Amino acid sequence: MENRPLEYDYTVAKMFMLTTVLLGIVGMLIGVILAFELAFPGINTILGSGLAEFTNFSRLRPLHTDAVIFGFTLSGIFATWYYVGQRVLKVSMAESGFLMFIGKLHFWLYIVGVAAVVVSLLAGVTTSKEYAEFEWPIDIAIVVVWVLFGVSIFGLIGMRREKSLYISVWYYIATFLGIAMLYLFNNMEIPTMLATSAAGESGIGAWYHSVSMYAGTNDALVQWWYGHNAVAFGFTVPIVAMIYYFLPKESGQAIYSYKLSLLSFWGLMFVYLWAGGHHLLYSTVPDWMQTMGSIFSVVLILPSWGSAINMLLTMKGEWQQVAASPLIKFMVLGSTFYMFSTLEGPIQAIKSVNAIAHFTDWIIGHVHDGVLGWVGFMIMAALYHMAPRVFKREIYSKSLMATQFWIQTLGVVLYFTSMWIAGITQGMMWRAHDEFGNLAYSFIDTVTVLHPYYAIRGVGGLLYLTGFLMFAYNIYKTMTAGKELAQEPANASPMGA
Amino acid sequence: MFHWLEKHPFFFAVGVFVTISFAGLVEIVPNFAQQSRPLIGTTPYSTLELAGRQVYIKNSCNACHSQLIRPFKSETDRYGHYSLSGEYAYDRPFLWGSKRTGPDLMRVGNYRTTDWHENHMKDPAAVVPGSIMPKYTWLYKNIADIDTAFAEQLTVSQFFSVPYNKPVPMKDGSTKIVKMGGSVAEANAMALAEAKVIVADMKDQDVKDAVANGKIPEIVALIAYLNSLK
Amino acid sequence: MFSAEFQAYGYLAVTVFMTVSLYAYIYHLYKNRKDADGKDYEEYSNMALNDDIADTPVNALSKDDKK
Repeated sequence: MENRPLEYDYTVAKMFMLTTVLLGIVGMLIGVILAFELAFPGINTILGSGLAEFTNFSRLRPLHTDAVIFGFTLSGIFATWYYVGQRVLKVSMAESGFLMFIGKLHFWLYIVGVAAVVVSLLAGVTTSKEYAEFEWPIDIAIVVVWVLFGVSIFGLIGMRREKSLYISVWYYIATFLGIAMLYLFNNMEIPTMLATSAAGESGIGAWYHSVSMYAGTNDALVQWWYGHNAVAFGFTVPIVAMIYYFLPKESGQAIYSYKLSLLSFWGLMFVYLWAGGHHLLYSTVPDWMQTMGSIFSVVLILPSWGSAINMLLTMKGEWQQVAASPLIKFMVLGSTFYMFSTLEGPIQAIKSVNAIAHFTDWIIGHVHDGVLGWVGFMIMAALYHMAPRVFKREIYSKSLMATQFWIQTLGVVLYFTSMWIAGITQGMMWRAHDEFGNLAYSFIDTVTVLHPYYAIRGVGGLLYLTGFLMFAYNIYKTMTAGKELAQEPANASPMGA
Repeated sequence: MFHWLEKHPFFFAVGVFVTISFAGLVEIVPNFAQQSRPLIGTTPYSTLELAGRQVYIKNSCNACHSQLIRPFKSETDRYGHYSLSGEYAYDRPFLWGSKRTGPDLMRVGNYRTTDWHENHMKDPAAVVPGSIMPKYTWLYKNIADIDTAFAEQLTVSQFFSVPYNKPVPMKDGSTKIVKMGGSVAEANAMALAEAKVIVADMKDQDVKDAVANGKIPEIVALIAYLNSLK
Repeated sequence: MFSAEFQAYGYLAVTVFMTVSLYAYIYHLYKNRKDADGKDYEEYSNMALNDDIADTPVNALSKDDKK
């Protein structure tokens, strides 16, 4: 073998890039189907009434959320970790056979886990807890996958040549620890196969079934402590990790303020965990906890905006790059949506606003401007940046990327505006009383009125999916037909027409 | 201080962990025991009701229906008395939901009947014109899993001391005993007896025949559960 | 009741402590500008920009730093 200089090894990063794209398509496609099922209920039986059990809204809904969170987003987090991690620590995975093995094992076990999740959710095997629907056998598999991720992170850090950890690495570490803690505590459950009847029978019923360790209000409290912070450590922290690396690298501009990043990191870590109570306002959890949930949600604006402003100011004096590069457009609009949804969230957490917004589509709108506008845009931008370096080819088409950007932006705008209107309309109608003090509307009145907004939302989702398919095509063509690069580009990613 | 941590990954990780676990410890732990105390009059679920609850979960009914009435006039007018913490003492998992695409079901047993549910689940739009709820036709064919419901009863009574076969205080000062079978066969027989009461109010001939043959379709269990929500 | 009061005072004390330390830390960062290794904090941004494996680390990990 010839003696080649040491290079970064992107084998595992490539594998996770593939699942990011594939599971993204799956998750978003199911999302679009769900959106149209609400607008046109006939679609629930689109494959005939024999298969209706597997195509109806309620069976597909957890599959959509989990495919996007644990499929698309998590793959994106893994893919970028196996790329960014090596680079900022200045160590190659090729230097350690052990870490390479762990990386590949991590990927294949993840694939097994994904397959098990799809089958079990379609079959209706679920614990019903949002984003934690999996029964105990899958929970155990997820823990193993997560431990492997941790071994990868700390293994690579152990070999590093750079003494200090770059900002992105802090956020990846926080993602690892945060999800580990939340997931373990929220999924405490007892398999029903352990119980014995008075007649001495055991292992009764479905072997995979389990009962939550917590009951009622406690269960709700733990679940939303998890649910809220799964968003924190799945949709915020790791995505911030990405933007702290990819935006400076792509634009060639140093972070506006390293000190500010330090402050917003620790601020975010401390504040975020307190805000989970805002999912339970006016419920049966203690009052002081609800109030604290509200207050901390508002305080959360500070560290969130700290990061976002740091990003936007990084582009100071370089705004021509935003106009010139669709890739930078994705990241800048992504951080703008991040600011927007971290402002919208606290507003919804104010008790009097929450009284109207809770249980309505406004919440769905809020989730989606965050996930479509911030998470989705940032992960796609990261993959676009990685593709030329990983495949050593030029990005296939710049104009396709630019078109995709505008189609998806329009999609997101249609999505959240329609859901705002739908949510506030419904919230106001639920509480409306007539002049005699009776309820002004029956429940069904507040459903039929939403039809146009549901249809617009479906169109918005469809546009976003279309853009995502263009993204998938562009990446595929980059892999196979992009012009080959002689050497790695330093900053701006080269793009074909 | 913090910057030092960045050069020492182990202490960095410890620092992050301490920071993020602090909130959970303060918020969740102190009220645990108090919140899990059942309200007087709240009883554990019977085998059939629990099987119905599993059907409810299997079909993610909680994706569109909440079980949490907030203390507003508009909600108490529409759904009944607002929710109290102790009412959920036997709910594992909790089913509050996060979205009301359909109405709240916390006290649906107070104002809907077996007959109404039977017609509604078969074709919601025929009962409530304009409804966007899907048809749940397979519930009339699939057989409910009574064994697993029984296993769940055993688990909660053994691990969490849920009072089956024990007197539970009721609001009027009397007591009530919710029975649990001693064996799989007995649990199935008890569920079937309960199912026969429900089916007496139903019209679907296939469902009636199934119960007569000792099998309980999912719809029967689900209705038993919905009727128990009061 | 005692535990609730304890919780409330404990919470207040921790919040005040956190706020004071945060502002003290901000002051410290901006006054000193450099960390214990004598590097300007802002130099660390170069970790992302010069991240080729052949680039020189901003702050190389020497053998005696490892443990």
